[in-house]
Formats: sequence, C-alpha cells, structure tokens
Amino acid sequence: MEEPNPTASAIIGFAGRLEDNSSKFYEMLAEKFPDEREIFLVFAKESEKNKMLVTRTYQETITDAIEACFSFKGLNLCHYLVETKLTKDTSYPEALKMAMELEKKASGFYSDVAEKSKPLLATIPKAFEKVATMRNKRNLKLKSLLDKVMA
Amino acid sequence: MAILEEPIKKVFEVKNYIGGEWVKSEGEVIDVVNPATCQTIGKVPISTRDEINAAVDAAKEAFPDWRRTPPLARVRCLFRLKELMEENFEELSRIQTMEHGKTIDESRGETRRGIENVEVATGIPSLGMGYNLEDIAAGIDEYVIRQPIGVFGIIGPFNFPFMVPLWFAPYAVATGNCIIIKPSSEDPISQAKIAELVEEAGFPPGVWNIVNGGRTVVSGMLDHPGIAGICFVGSTSVAKIIYQRCGETGKRVIAQGGAKNFVLIMPDADVARTIPALMTSFFGNTGQRCLSGANLVIVGKDDEFYNCSVSATVDAATKIIVGYGLDESVQMGPLRDKSKKERVTRYVEKGIEEGAKLKLDGRKINLAGDWPDTCFLGPTVFEDVTPDMTIGKEEIFGPVMSIMRVENLDEAIDLIHTNPFGNAASIFTSSGKWAREFQYRVQCGNIGVNIGIVAPMAFFPFSGMKDSFFGTLHGQGMEAIRFFTESKVVIQRWF
Repeated sequence: MEEPNPTASAIIGFAGRLEDNSSKFYEMLAEKFPDEREIFLVFAKESEKNKMLVTRTYQETITDAIEACFSFKGLNLCHYLVETKLTKDTSYPEALKMAMELEKKASGFYSDVAEKSKPLLATIPKAFEKVATMRNKRNLKLKSLLDKVMA
Repeated sequence: MAILEEPIKKVFEVKNYIGGEWVKSEGEVIDVVNPATCQTIGKVPISTRDEINAAVDAAKEAFPDWRRTPPLARVRCLFRLKELMEENFEELSRIQTMEHGKTIDESRGETRRGIENVEVATGIPSLGMGYNLEDIAAGIDEYVIRQPIGVFGIIGPFNFPFMVPLWFAPYAVATGNCIIIKPSSEDPISQAKIAELVEEAGFPPGVWNIVNGGRTVVSGMLDHPGIAGICFVGSTSVAKIIYQRCGETGKRVIAQGGAKNFVLIMPDADVARTIPALMTSFFGNTGQRCLSGANLVIVGKDDEFYNCSVSATVDAATKIIVGYGLDESVQMGPLRDKSKKERVTRYVEKGIEEGAKLKLDGRKINLAGDWPDTCFLGPTVFEDVTPDMTIGKEEIFGPVMSIMRVENLDEAIDLIHTNPFGNAASIFTSSGKWAREFQYRVQCGNIGVNIGIVAPMAFFPFSGMKDSFFGTLHGQGMEAIRFFTESKVVIQRWF
C-alpha cells in the first residue's frame, strides 16, 4: 500500500475541521452538563482560536517549500479521527471519556504535524506544538473532572 | 479527498475597470476555461483601441490629484487593500486554482507573495524619500526628490495571474502614479477581483484601471504618448518587441522574458534534502514558472552518486499526485490549456526523437479524480540530454526535467553559459567555495544556493539577465520605486 502523503492544504483543512468539531462538541457538553458549563465553553472558544492560529500561521508563512509539492510524508490522517457523538443517554463520565479520547488524538495529531513540519519555517511547527500542549492540558483537566466524579 | 468549494458558481462576466467604473467592453468576448474540469468559468472581452485610450484618459485625469495626495494618505488605501486581501485570502486563492489550474497550496503561496508586495509598498513614506547634502559649495545645498511620472501600463502573464501585476502596481500607485493593468486573457478573473477590492479600499477613480484584452490593448499601450512606461512579464519574443517599441517611443520599460534554468547537484550535495527541492523546482506550478528548474546537471565522475541521484529523483517524481488543484490531496495541477499541453507534449516527442532517454513519461498518468485529461501532463524526466538537443536548450514551460551530466563545476558553468537565457540558476552543494564560485561567475539574475526556486522576496528586485530580461531596473522593492519615480535634483542657495 502507498505511504500516505497529505499536502499542507490537507493538513490545515483537517486541523480546521478538527477544531470546528471540537468546538461544537464542547458547546453541546456545556448545554448537556451545565455544572461544568464554563469549562466546556472555554474549551469551545479555545478551539476557535486554535483554528485561527493554525490557519494564519499557514497563510502567513507559506514558502516555496510548502507552496508546491511539499507534503507531510507518512502522516495518516485516519489515525486521528475520533467519534464524538453525544446521545440523550450519554452519561457524564462517558462524555468525559469521549472528550479525553478527542484530546488525546488531537494532541497526537498536532505533535506529529509539528515534527513533520520542522524543515519548514520555525513558526509553523511552533504553532502546532502550542496547540498540542494546550490540548494535552485539556486532557489533564478532563481527567481531573472524571476523577472527581469517580471518587 | 473532497474537492474544496469552488468560489465561482456561475460564469463570471469580466468587465473593464476604467475611471472607477465597471465598463462593458465593445470587443469580442472569449471563454475563460478551468483547465482541470474544462468548464467555462468566465467570459473576458478583447477590448478595443478606444477602450485602452479611454483608460489612459481616465488615468491621466486622475494623476494630478493623486500625485498631490500625501504619501501617507496614499498608503492608507494600500493598507485597506491589504486588509481586504487578507479577508478574502481563501476566495482569491481558490479563484487562481480555478482559472489557472495550480494546486490550492500553490495558489495560497501566490496570494501571499502578492500581498507581500502591497505590504512593502506601504513603506513609501520612508522608502520614497530622496536624499540631500548641505554645503556642496559655500551656502549651497543639493538634494534629490523622487517624483511620480504619470501613467504606467502593466501587462501580466498567465502563469501567476494574481501575483505578477502586484510586483509593480502597489509601488506605482504608492509613489503617486496611475496604472492600467492588462491581465492575461487566459486567466483574468484574479485581477478583476483585485480591482473590486481596490474600489472597496477607496482608491480614487482612475488611479487603478483594468483593461482586458490582447494585442490591441498592448499595442494601444505601446503607442500611446500618455503612457510613461510599461511593465511586462511573458515570453522573450514579446519582451524583445516591447523593449524595442518602448525605446522608440521613449517609455521606461521592465520587460521580463522566458527562461531555461539550470540546477546543479554537486557530488557533496545532501541528496535527501535536495530531492524535495527539485520536485518543487521542476514540477511546482506544473513547470509553468520562469523560475522553474529545466535542466538538472549532475556533476562529477562518481557513477554511483549519479545513479543514486537519478533514481531518487525519478522515484520522487513518480509519486507526485496529479489532479484538480482544489482537491487537497493533489500536488500538481494541469497545464493552463490544451494548446500548452500539446506544445509540451511535442517537446517530449522531440526529446525521444533526438535520442534522450525517457525515464518517466508524463503522458501516461493516473489522475486523482475523474477529470478530462485534456490539459493534464504528469512529471516527465529525460536522461542523457545534451545542450544542443531541443529539450536541452528551448524553454518548454511544462513539467519536464532534462538530466545532463558533466565532470566538474567549470564544465557546468560553461554549459549554463551556452544557453541564451539568464533568469535563474541553482547549485546544491555543501561547499562554500563552490557556491561562491557559482554565484560569482554564473550569468543569471537570480542565483540559488541549496534553493530550488529562487523567488526574490518583495523587498528584493526580481532580477534577470541576457534573454530573460530587457531593461535596467527590475520589479519589486527599491528598484520598482526608482522605476516609478524621476530623480529630480535641486541645487539651492538663498541670498
């Protein structure tokens, strides 16, 4: 099988959709679980900002390397997909676990993209690293919420 | 992979923009065709002599007030234009892909490079200053003032429909001149979109004009005594004519022509890092760049190094995904139109006929997606090419790499100099000595050291030599500012 070889545009498009989905997901969590509404709304807002940061970084630092034929060799975007479907029966711990899985995959995606984009201008991997770190922190926060419920 | 949404939903009627009005041309109308889908996405007029004359009149009328407008006020229009371009970044980029065929990554790169020229031109309040010296003689001071000249014509090429006119236009208007742009009739929509933003940015009527068309418009610009200078980017044959005609009519001129760019791989090159740069250089923008690599020269007597370099190059070229540029998985789009594909295909046939070894045949490609193959041609690699072969000496302007082999740097430089063009040349090496020697001796305007596409940033001139450039000053940066201004010397004494 051919090694995956996504273009820069495909990566930025994927990141945009990931952040859009995350934002919507956390807005739904905020509505469904109002006790932690503030935290989830902050996460939703952060995702909007992440999308803006990644898009801007891409658009403002495009070089000839990225503009033609550059690709993120070996990066399989399917590995970072995660199902985040909330139903009326989804319990709070289940929703938190789902969110943690989302954050884990997202963080992995951004870390891997940061690694692959190191030959490009430094601002590009740095932007990805920043988002990866933020999403790791979110994961820890979600874990603490889950621990609180399970205690 | 899904196709990104197309911003042009119905046939775009391109109009002229003259004196701040969108004017329907009286001329014949031709189709603008998306080369990937073969669908007509626009209609563009071939404007008449009267219409170019009307644009010159409008620009001349606007000039006196515009030149008196303080530079800070002028650049506020450019700041607004930049902001509008940023707001519309994605739409502007996708339009380029639709009308030209390049990939969306390439289009976004082109949009960015265009905007960078607007950004640099906003520095005119500082960059446009003259200079002075007190006491050149007893009680006498001397100074230089840079003054705008009048109306300039800008003739754009098809390969960078958004960016190339912006190598000139922002500097021209920032320095107080008025302009008339003639976009390529093959892909005129990008410039029409820019003009919409120009209007929104608040440029006074007549400062920035667009007249679509072909030879009649170009001749109209060249003949018109009201036009002070011409900026042209296109083929060498036309560049020569424009240079000559401007000389006869006393116009300033920047005329950038064709290219046949050599890329050297020295025996000490970092091959793993060189190969991706080669892919960009030779196959980026489907080879339709005046900075594209054309001849790959592998230097040295080491057969193993040579064979490894060739096989890594062919292997990487084989993997390039060809298709519609709005498909994000695609790395190379089609050629601009059917006739260009036929032209490049004839070169491929000629290469075979003249004895070059075809290592990768772009005529046989698997397209990503179900598109008509009318304008598509895949990466093509020839080996054993000699400088006297047609494919080794003429500009192909398509995704064709011709591999040559020489024994040493001297031979490689001689090889470059046998070619009449002098646009760009690159060397891949770890040796500072070789790099310096290359930079020092090679007669090309843009030199790359471990760089595949030597595209000067907006604050540097886009250079060129020999048959690739006709003129003195170049587009972009300080040279553009000098081109668009007259240096007036004042010597002053007060009794």
